[in-house]
Amino acid sequence: MTDDTGRTPSGSRSQDTINRRQAMRIGIGAMASLGLGEMIVLRPGEIAAAECDTPPGPRPGEHGRPKVPHDYRRATQVTGVCLNCSTVCGIVGQVFDGQLVKLAGNPADPNNGATICAKGQSGVSINTYPERLLYPLRRVGRRGEGVWQRISWAEAYDEMARRIGDCLAAGTPEQVAIHYGRSRISDVIDRFMNAVGSPVVLNHRALCSLNKRAANYASIGDTDWETVDAAQTKYLLNFGSNFYEAHQGHIHFLKRVVQGRFDNGAKLVTFDVRLSNTAGRSDEWFAPFPGTEGAVALAMAHVMVDAGEYDRRFIDEWTNYPAAQLREFLRPYTPAWAAAKSGLAAADIERIALEFARSRPNCAAFTNRGSHAHYNGFNNDRAVILLNALAGSIGQPGGYCYGESERVDPAKYPPPPPLPPKPKIRTDLEDPPDFPLANLWQKMKVGELVYDYLRSGRARLRVYISYTLGSPTTWPEGRSLTVDVLRNEELIPFHICSDVVYSETAHYADLILPDATYLERWGLDTRNSYDFRPYVTLRQPMTPPPADCVSFADVLIELGKRLGPQVSKYFQFADHEAYVRHQCRHVPPGDCADGFTFLRKHGVWCDQKLPQNRGAFRRLLADHDLAGSETDAATSVIHRTGESGKREAIGVMVQGRALRGFQTPSRKFEILSPTVIKQAAKIGIDDDGLPRYVPVPSHEDLPDDRFVLVTFKWNVHTQARTAPQKYLSEIVHDNPVWINVATAGKLGIRTGDLVEITTYRPTAGPFRATGERIGSAHVRAFVTEGIHPRVLAVSNSLGHQFGGRAATAQRAGRPAGPAFDAAVLPEDSDLSDSLWWDAAHGGSGAGVNINAILPIQPAPLTGMQAWFDTVCSIKPLGIERRA
Amino acid sequence: MPDKPRYQMAIDLERCTGCHACSVACKVENQVPLGNFRTKVYYYDEGNYPQVRRWFLPVVCMQCVDAPCLKACPTDSIRRDDDGIVRIDTNTCLAHGKCEEACPYGAIYVDPQRNVADKCDFCSHRLEVGMEPACVETCPSAALVFGDANDAASPVARFHEKHIEELAVLKPEEATKPQVAYRGLRAELAKKVAKGRNHDPRSYEIETWAQLRSEFPRENPGDD
Repeated sequence: MTDDTGRTPSGSRSQDTINRRQAMRIGIGAMASLGLGEMIVLRPGEIAAAECDTPPGPRPGEHGRPKVPHDYRRATQVTGVCLNCSTVCGIVGQVFDGQLVKLAGNPADPNNGATICAKGQSGVSINTYPERLLYPLRRVGRRGEGVWQRISWAEAYDEMARRIGDCLAAGTPEQVAIHYGRSRISDVIDRFMNAVGSPVVLNHRALCSLNKRAANYASIGDTDWETVDAAQTKYLLNFGSNFYEAHQGHIHFLKRVVQGRFDNGAKLVTFDVRLSNTAGRSDEWFAPFPGTEGAVALAMAHVMVDAGEYDRRFIDEWTNYPAAQLREFLRPYTPAWAAAKSGLAAADIERIALEFARSRPNCAAFTNRGSHAHYNGFNNDRAVILLNALAGSIGQPGGYCYGESERVDPAKYPPPPPLPPKPKIRTDLEDPPDFPLANLWQKMKVGELVYDYLRSGRARLRVYISYTLGSPTTWPEGRSLTVDVLRNEELIPFHICSDVVYSETAHYADLILPDATYLERWGLDTRNSYDFRPYVTLRQPMTPPPADCVSFADVLIELGKRLGPQVSKYFQFADHEAYVRHQCRHVPPGDCADGFTFLRKHGVWCDQKLPQNRGAFRRLLADHDLAGSETDAATSVIHRTGESGKREAIGVMVQGRALRGFQTPSRKFEILSPTVIKQAAKIGIDDDGLPRYVPVPSHEDLPDDRFVLVTFKWNVHTQARTAPQKYLSEIVHDNPVWINVATAGKLGIRTGDLVEITTYRPTAGPFRATGERIGSAHVRAFVTEGIHPRVLAVSNSLGHQFGGRAATAQRAGRPAGPAFDAAVLPEDSDLSDSLWWDAAHGGSGAGVNINAILPIQPAPLTGMQAWFDTVCSIKPLGIERRA
Repeated sequence: MPDKPRYQMAIDLERCTGCHACSVACKVENQVPLGNFRTKVYYYDEGNYPQVRRWFLPVVCMQCVDAPCLKACPTDSIRRDDDGIVRIDTNTCLAHGKCEEACPYGAIYVDPQRNVADKCDFCSHRLEVGMEPACVETCPSAALVFGDANDAASPVARFHEKHIEELAVLKPEEATKPQVAYRGLRAELAKKVAKGRNHDPRSYEIETWAQLRSEFPRENPGDD
């Protein structure tokens, strides 16, 4: 390969050589276009004002380009599915002359209907962001240096096929890894990786929701995510969920909670260490010490049992733990005991417990990251779920419900055959043996350990493919460990990154693939339905992707075709559209020619004839289910030999009736989990299987000068991928540290002062439990009444070094962003002239990335990142930046 | 239904979740430049730990019957139409900015990219084709209620009927006769709404949430 062809072996070119090239562009502004083979330098924060586009605004005294209101008579409506967070809202796009100008909720969607949130509304700006990636880029300089060369897709595919082909030829397919975040194409990713023969499909679940999901599985087995029937409820006990802003079922749940409260008279009580919008609008807000949610829930259970205000029949018939033993288990967990742990008043714990209990069964207690992202989060959440068993609210109207189908079921929506088998090999990366509950119920893995495992040689990779992954900003120790490993060409010899903007992850890649946005690509999707009927919804391109952008699913399908007959035989269909069309073959055509066309027209298919299903455990087994079955005399569990020849549990005898039961081993709600006992024993942990309270070791005897540092999300941002959206960053772009008024007073800290936060590793736990210092961050203080006095809070989502002007708060001409073609994506004068929060122009700037100084701290057994356990200290720096 | 509609809005602050869907929907729909707003959502934190509550206040153009902007316009480019909506004639507007100075609600601004005044007109272009205003359509909690007050079956008329005793307007002392009413409005929240200025950048920073004021003088001008 020679200079003349523009093809350069990665990493072999020095900066000096590059600078001699005439085609080289630095600082980029401006670029009318980046030609094939031309090069570009992309570095954080680089602005080349001299080269910027001329903004389209008027000169003083002139009328500018007139604002032409959208004439909707000319618009075409195209349905789709939002992916600006993970909630999965059905949407309708308004397309004018090939351009998407507005989004709304799809009225046919059973969850969100015609409404979507601020992030959903902002989606249109992703498509036309002037700094969007438009062409495949190959790294030319050293990794992380930011020197790139535009290449063709043919070259990109050749290189990817060669790199992956080398692993296949060497018999080491497990040296190919895919690491993704919120993709909603995991079926295609799995298919590709199965075809390649690699099990190393990595995710971020352990940084998100692992403990909550594991607690649901351990308790009821059927689901990892409850569906609270909020519209019909009378009482909601919310342990650490900020669903007014950021719940995984955000709008779906929020709108029903509002209906439940204001149309049905329900009460909402929230436990959260910080005054989130949910907490601030609840009927009552309590701020327990972080990680003591389980103590509060157990004390409430104690109160309910003690007062006889619980559903004795449910406990007797539907749990695996006798009421007398439950009473004994709960005996030490008195309100006074929980008050000492949590700092809440015993009288409040008792009062709320009885209010909840007396609303049974139209009540629900539920959780989210506030309760479960802790060392003890798995048990915290099990204790909260137990309250629903005591209230007998499981599966009841207004109670703690769960549907049957929360994922696109391949039996109903079959992908094109043949399907590749799952690889039989394993590695520590995707199957960490130290965390036996991580992969037990579903492959949740332990994402926060991936980079440490790579560094310490527990697994070897040759090809690392990242997608929708912002690990340098979203991972604990992201800017240190993650970046160190991503930068290291021995640990990660070849990194392929598909992204929409030049992200921090892309910066450390060798090959950047310009992705299509979720508004430009295909996919079938679904969520737990708050209408309690399974449904499916279609993501389809509202407009074609611009320039050379290709959806990552299509990249994988095309790459699969190029990897030789052993792989390509699983990709004998045209593209992702054809794949999805095949999946829709059993969808009824309705008023259209076929099911696929029906979904393209309506966006959603739901069989309204099905009865609502709030929880199937009481469903009678049919005679054909029972044919050939046998009932275990000791446990009453009904078994049958399935089609695979394996003996499996299908139900349970309750009061002489054969019922489906829960999908736990006992087919009952498992207060006592034999599964936990057995799995813990595998790694030498003695666990009695009960949801007992375990203190967070690092928080025991916390000195007065130490605090707990927590993070949170805003209603206008996700973890990493919304900051480049100007209308969202206009609302929230800065993240000062929340500190309680009394605490700040003692420390002499006022709002606006610069403070130094220093973090420490945990003192116990399965990973680097040394208590040693990690790092410090300088942050502005926000003194508020809305936070626990021993807690500091800094939001995530901000502090970006990459992602273009909206993400980095830089008001200037088109800066060092991958805006390689002004003819495709014109400049936006908002970014050049009106971005008012740029710190260089008196604004408050783009905030800090606090994850950089948060320790990797997986919880025992599950591996969930204990985000909200971090111990820190704070000191004023004597710099009053703003009064 | 009478021939002429009379458009009104009611905002139920009990239901509002402060989600900003209305303000972002509005910005996308109406191409509102950064630093300017047709629709804003103010936050207010009240009380002392641990008894703290958060209030939200969405603000749009009040479509005043007695509109100060209309009176202040030197070119008579602002009119109140029969349907109750106050509109700007962008052909004659010369961007003097007197309207922005006059508005008690900070609801009107001069578009820096187009050099004309701009404000909420209940998404008139959507009303023409039978659609709701963008903010109303997207509001997840149904806090924004809109419709033809002359049509007893319209959402806003039904809301008025149900809650008439609970409704209040913003800054009644301005005697502007707003056509937007609030349910659950605490009068002191109006102190957060700037008179004569569309957007003070500080008004969206969280350190102002607990403050009942609309002006944030720069105490450290060296920042700029």
